[in-house]
Amino acid sequence: MPAATAPPSQGDGLTRRDFLRRLGYAAAVTVAAGGLGWWRHDASGPQVQTPKKVLSGLGDFSLPHPRGEAGRMAVVEGLDRAQTVARGLEALGGMGAFIQAGDRVLIKVNAAFATPPALGATTHPELLAAVARLCFQAGAAQVLVTDNPINDPLTCFRISGLEGAAKQAGAQLILPRPALFQPVSLPDGRLLQQWPTLAGVLAGVTKVILLSPVKDHQRAGASMTLKNIYGFLGGRRNIFHQDINGIITELALLLKPTLCFLDGTVAMVTNGPTGGSLSDLKETGVMVIATDPVAADAMGVEILGRRLEEIPYIRLAAAAGAGLADYARLKPVFLRAN
Amino acid sequence: MPAKRTRPISAAQQLTGYGILTVLGLIVVWLLVQQSHLNPAVTALQTPRPAGSAKAGPDAAPQAAALVPAVAGFTPLGPVQSFGPENLSDKIDGKAELYLSAGFQTLAVQSFTLAQPAGAYLEVFLYDMGGPQNAYAVFSSQRRPGAVGLSFRPNAYATSNALFFTAGNFYVEMILDRAVPDVAAVLEPFTTALLTKLPATEEGSNLAALWPREGLVADSVRLQAADAFGLAGFNNVYTAEYLVAGGRATAFLALRSAPAEAVAEARRFQEFLRDNGFRAVQDPTIPAAVTILALEDFYEAIVVVDQTLAGVHEAPSLAAALELAKKLQEALASNR
Repeated sequence: MPAATAPPSQGDGLTRRDFLRRLGYAAAVTVAAGGLGWWRHDASGPQVQTPKKVLSGLGDFSLPHPRGEAGRMAVVEGLDRAQTVARGLEALGGMGAFIQAGDRVLIKVNAAFATPPALGATTHPELLAAVARLCFQAGAAQVLVTDNPINDPLTCFRISGLEGAAKQAGAQLILPRPALFQPVSLPDGRLLQQWPTLAGVLAGVTKVILLSPVKDHQRAGASMTLKNIYGFLGGRRNIFHQDINGIITELALLLKPTLCFLDGTVAMVTNGPTGGSLSDLKETGVMVIATDPVAADAMGVEILGRRLEEIPYIRLAAAAGAGLADYARLKPVFLRAN
Repeated sequence: MPAKRTRPISAAQQLTGYGILTVLGLIVVWLLVQQSHLNPAVTALQTPRPAGSAKAGPDAAPQAAALVPAVAGFTPLGPVQSFGPENLSDKIDGKAELYLSAGFQTLAVQSFTLAQPAGAYLEVFLYDMGGPQNAYAVFSSQRRPGAVGLSFRPNAYATSNALFFTAGNFYVEMILDRAVPDVAAVLEPFTTALLTKLPATEEGSNLAALWPREGLVADSVRLQAADAFGLAGFNNVYTAEYLVAGGRATAFLALRSAPAEAVAEARRFQEFLRDNGFRAVQDPTIPAAVTILALEDFYEAIVVVDQTLAGVHEAPSLAAALELAKKLQEALASNR
């Protein structure tokens, strides 16, 4: 008579029922974990319209300096923008020293707000008209004007007078639209990583000019040339206000312009960047023209009646290699318009 | 009866199990760390909300729009735009922080063209600050020096092109594109119509009774909603400018809910000053109730009267600081 078969589990203490129960538990946990992962998974990721190449900056449009020069700067006293611009450029060799025949010039204005030009919150249309005309006279094949304003773009360009000034001068206005934005990652940048920027407006451009008003700014202390570059950023850029000096420093490295006009004809000396009252403005009567945006802003600090220490981003930008905080090293030419 | 496991778990099996659990734990930690470092590009690539779209709560946009009146002679250039805390910077950029730190709720904005002066451009900003003191804070902190005070509201002034005032919880700016001889008269029809629509509530106070009269610079009272003098959390502090021997000084008053709170805050402010290089001053002329700290040529005085923390900021001399502090104590004591 054969010996009774020992129960299958007797060798390791695991019955078939135990095994199936444990298998069932494991399967249920696996299905639950997998299901949770499937539910939370975002297969599409952040929406982009088309896959775009990530740029490392917006470009270097600066001109080489003659040997022994750190850059060029003219500071012109006067209240007529066309006159101060003409006088200052004359001292620097004329617009032809910067713009050559056939150049495709992009003028980046500050059209951030839908406010009339008299309130000083945006680039003045007289400055745009003067500079655009001089570019054409120097032989520019095309002059483009752009900004990515805080408010509705067309309204901003229209009410600020910049649309009209561009058209009168024969310049083409480029309003921001999604297809013109491309992600940028600044090498060693802490903030500007895969950030959408208005890079598309620079396609085919050979020279970049920045036209910026001199303004007080609630967060940064001042809004001038370097802050103007903020207008190339897209997305929810207001999050950078938490580190305003850091972002402006990175903006200084994002783009190197050919020429900067810092308009201190009428400066917003308080309640910036929006102002509102004419009493926020002061007739400071100075036009700064410079190849170095950091140096231009350092001069702008004096127009505002402040000390360099009160505007930290200027020293930070200089330390990062974006330009010179000591504008005297450019050996500026000081002039009167008439 | 099911058989129990008789074979012990080997050391290798135990180690393997612990190893798997450790790897799983590390994965969880890594995930948590990654999630805490939000890539701004993730939100940047989201479709931005168009300017003017309401994000202040389900009913904010209709409420804000309804408060802006229709007035003959003021032709709207577009619809009312509404903004909430999340998109206020879409309208006023870097200035948004000033309002957000003071309790901002919603902003309604509309532009007009005027019949008189013909073609003048007007933009009206209606900020709901959520409370009269909040409205007073943003009103006072932006007050233009030398502006003409107006009598139609307790807190109102005009410059050559603009009107600024509070109405209960609301702070209002009415900005023209040009200077006019009498901006209040030009905007009076709109102002009147607006005030009839705004809910009637108490006005924010500048604590007029608590400020010593002598030496007070007119219209210099401010309410700093947040982080007064650079001290984080030193909120709701009133300041006023005084002419003192040797120059100017700032007096401050911070009303707290209990004496212990005022004492604690006084201590915190002293620590903040010491951390920034100020040193306590010992002098027989200093009363026991007053603490004096100094850095170079600047003197700070701190005193607590009941539940009010008071003091003097950046006085040019010890004598000036003591004199102004004494006047503050006397004013507070007489208003008990």
